[in-house]
Amino acid sequence: MSSPLVLAAGEVGGDFFRERNVGDLCQAQPNHLFCWEWAKDNIDRFGTPTIQHLQIVIPSILIGFVAAFALALLAHRIRWLQPPLLAATGILYTIPSIAFFFLLLPLTGLGRDTAIIVLAAYTLQIIFRNTILGLNNVPASVKDAARGMGFTSRQILWKVELPLAIPEIVAGLRVAVVSTIAIATLAVLISAGGLGTEMYGSNLNFPTAIIIAGAIVILMAFAFDSILLLIQRLTTPWRRVSQA
Amino acid sequence: MSSLPYASFIGAFEFIFSPQESNVTGGKKVGGFDKSVELLIKHLEVTLIALAIALVVALPLGLWLGHRGKGEQFAVGVSNAARAIPELAVIALVAVLIGVGLGNVAPVLAILGIPPILNNAYVGVQQVDRATVDAARGMGMSEMAIVRKVELPIAIPTVMGGIRSAAIAILATATIAPLAGVETLGDFIINRNVYGENGLLAGAILVALLALTIEGSLALLQRRLTSDGLKLKTV
Amino acid sequence: MPSGETDAQPQPGASSVRYEETTKLYPGASEPAVDKLTLEVPAGEICVLVGPSGCGKTTAMRMVNRTVEITSGDVLVGERSVRERDPAQLRREIGYVIQQIGLFPHRTINENIGAVPQLLGWKKERIRERSRELLELIGLDPELGDRYPAQLSGGQQQRVGVARALAADPLVMLMDEPFGAIDPINRERLQNEFLRLQAEIRKTVLFVTHDIDEAIKMGDRIAVMREGGRVEQYATPAELLMAPANEFVEDFVGADRALKRLALMRVADINLWEAPLAHVGQATAEVRAKLESPDVEIPYPLLVDSERRPLGWLSERDLGGDTVPHRPDSPLGPVLERDDVMRDALADLLQGESQYAPVVDHQGRITGVLSVEIISEFLASPEAKTDEHSAVERPHE
Repeated sequence: MSSPLVLAAGEVGGDFFRERNVGDLCQAQPNHLFCWEWAKDNIDRFGTPTIQHLQIVIPSILIGFVAAFALALLAHRIRWLQPPLLAATGILYTIPSIAFFFLLLPLTGLGRDTAIIVLAAYTLQIIFRNTILGLNNVPASVKDAARGMGFTSRQILWKVELPLAIPEIVAGLRVAVVSTIAIATLAVLISAGGLGTEMYGSNLNFPTAIIIAGAIVILMAFAFDSILLLIQRLTTPWRRVSQA
Repeated sequence: MSSLPYASFIGAFEFIFSPQESNVTGGKKVGGFDKSVELLIKHLEVTLIALAIALVVALPLGLWLGHRGKGEQFAVGVSNAARAIPELAVIALVAVLIGVGLGNVAPVLAILGIPPILNNAYVGVQQVDRATVDAARGMGMSEMAIVRKVELPIAIPTVMGGIRSAAIAILATATIAPLAGVETLGDFIINRNVYGENGLLAGAILVALLALTIEGSLALLQRRLTSDGLKLKTV
Repeated sequence: MPSGETDAQPQPGASSVRYEETTKLYPGASEPAVDKLTLEVPAGEICVLVGPSGCGKTTAMRMVNRTVEITSGDVLVGERSVRERDPAQLRREIGYVIQQIGLFPHRTINENIGAVPQLLGWKKERIRERSRELLELIGLDPELGDRYPAQLSGGQQQRVGVARALAADPLVMLMDEPFGAIDPINRERLQNEFLRLQAEIRKTVLFVTHDIDEAIKMGDRIAVMREGGRVEQYATPAELLMAPANEFVEDFVGADRALKRLALMRVADINLWEAPLAHVGQATAEVRAKLESPDVEIPYPLLVDSERRPLGWLSERDLGGDTVPHRPDSPLGPVLERDDVMRDALADLLQGESQYAPVVDHQGRITGVLSVEIISEFLASPEAKTDEHSAVERPHE
């Protein structure tokens, strides 16, 4: 049974275009790829979805990061927690976010909160795993030296282990941020707004809108990624020097 | 929507197993076991076809580049960039610009699966101890043989990790493939008015279960393929 | 309280270390790793713990700063029990050098060296000053202080490791195979430098190694251990070589004990032969007369200049004319110095394929002649030289 929401290419009616203020020039081309006219005139309609998108993405990442960090510190201290926690969070990662959105519906309802919970869980998995990995990769000799010199466990964690784990943690953060920004487009399916609204529903046969929305998503991801990369470079000066 | 979550899940399970009444189709029943299984199998098919395509394209390329040690920017860069692409936009564009149907959708899904496979194959082979490779070369093994018999077995955990990522990514996007005319479990989710709230939840549950099953199977496969010597190493 | 806390110069602040029936029993093990170890290390001395792998020497060392907890018994540092102290506080007073060095890769050299002083709350200025001072002390350009460990070679890193341990002027230094990961050439250099350093600062050092030659070179006292941390002999290097307590020690020290003794001596410690000297232009008849003298052991005269600096050995042909010629027939061959370690002197002799070599003082003037015969006579003799021990104390080079 073909989905009633998919219209075969070309069968778009006049109403469709009128709604979107599509000029005659754009209408005339069937399957037009990109209509600059429309883009120029209607760019402001992307404002709200963009802000909504950020309103989903930023809380998700913050919550996911804080939760992952706390959990990782716990699992770092209590070693045997690591395998079970890694497995448990792994499940969060495996379940496709889209399915996860709907699984939560009965519990948390439609809207932004559900989206945030799902994306935070996704972020949590990635950052938890990477933080644990980063902490575990600190050379044993460095920890031995620190301990033998008189650093307390807490001092070793904050002054030695975590700084050395920064590259891994930031790498995880970058993956999480970029993925979250992309996945958040699906939030439209649970009425949470975001840039997905310009890709779905009534926009399904209007490539211009889809492409613009997609471009914004990609640009947003690139911007965040670059900022994080910069932060990583600034906080790890020792990685930039050449070896003897 | 049902006010009690518990009841919703019960409703969903009922949907999976026995046909329900629906508002739209004028009394004709929807859902039920047969339908669920049908869509499940279709979903699996789509996923596996796309995964196969991705493997054929990305695996040899990734292994070879990793073996040569070239193209790191490319392999890693492609992977990073691909993560930013919203699947919804891709599927929608495919539907409008290229056309509907499996023939058009499968390659696109495969493209989504290429970055993790390519990236992990590259990294996995790259990380094999150079000394081991040197020894093999010194023993007179051909380059191809080195990749097949030395580097690949050692890189299995990382490579399989990439395949698992790809499988899940493809499976996830296959969920919205109905938007491009390909029937999968996503049908239940997207055609909410036809299948109702129960259908919606049922679809989500089935997708989740399918994902866990595939992940689990691939994990088992990975364990079978990983040599015992490697398993002794603590990660 | 660590001494020398108020000024920059390294003060001779060192404590004795005393093991009292110290025992370490790991849970689930049938035998203790270290069984009732009782040992005293006097302040300011290097005590080397040496033995085969697994004998417990590292465990014993680590019980001093409690990086391995003591099961029973005690360790007293400066007559204070380590068990009664807070471990972190205790460790800040004890220098700790390990084989893999363990420099903080994310901190500059200065920050690495200043790590413990920072924990102790020293002011920034003082830490910087101390770091510079230590870098000079260990023979590194203070400019390196702003680099990161990855930018230094292995030998340089190892030196920084030692400097780091010395930064807060500790009472005791623990060194666990500190030069083990370095190539032999640099290892020797580092060993010499550390001995030179120790001559100045006189710390109490517990040094763990599995290499008996290193033990003999570095130690004021050596404890030869076997499984369970049992000390088979605790003695000075000379005593160890000349009077091994039992078969285990004898085997461990090695069959070439006699040759090893040579490492403890200097050329100056032995009685040299007189060289019949000849000057340029001297009548050959005079020189021949000297050779006839019964005291002279060497059949060839040594040509020297007006300052009595050796120029070469004279052959029969050289003495053919009336006067001693400018230039001798044969080349000079190896020339030894009074301060040379005997083992190296023997090596030079053998390498130069010479029977004899002139021995000169600091100004290059002849003081005598060393021959292989002298050395072998000495080795064969029962004379025990307590003087040998003093060779270790003198600074190298």
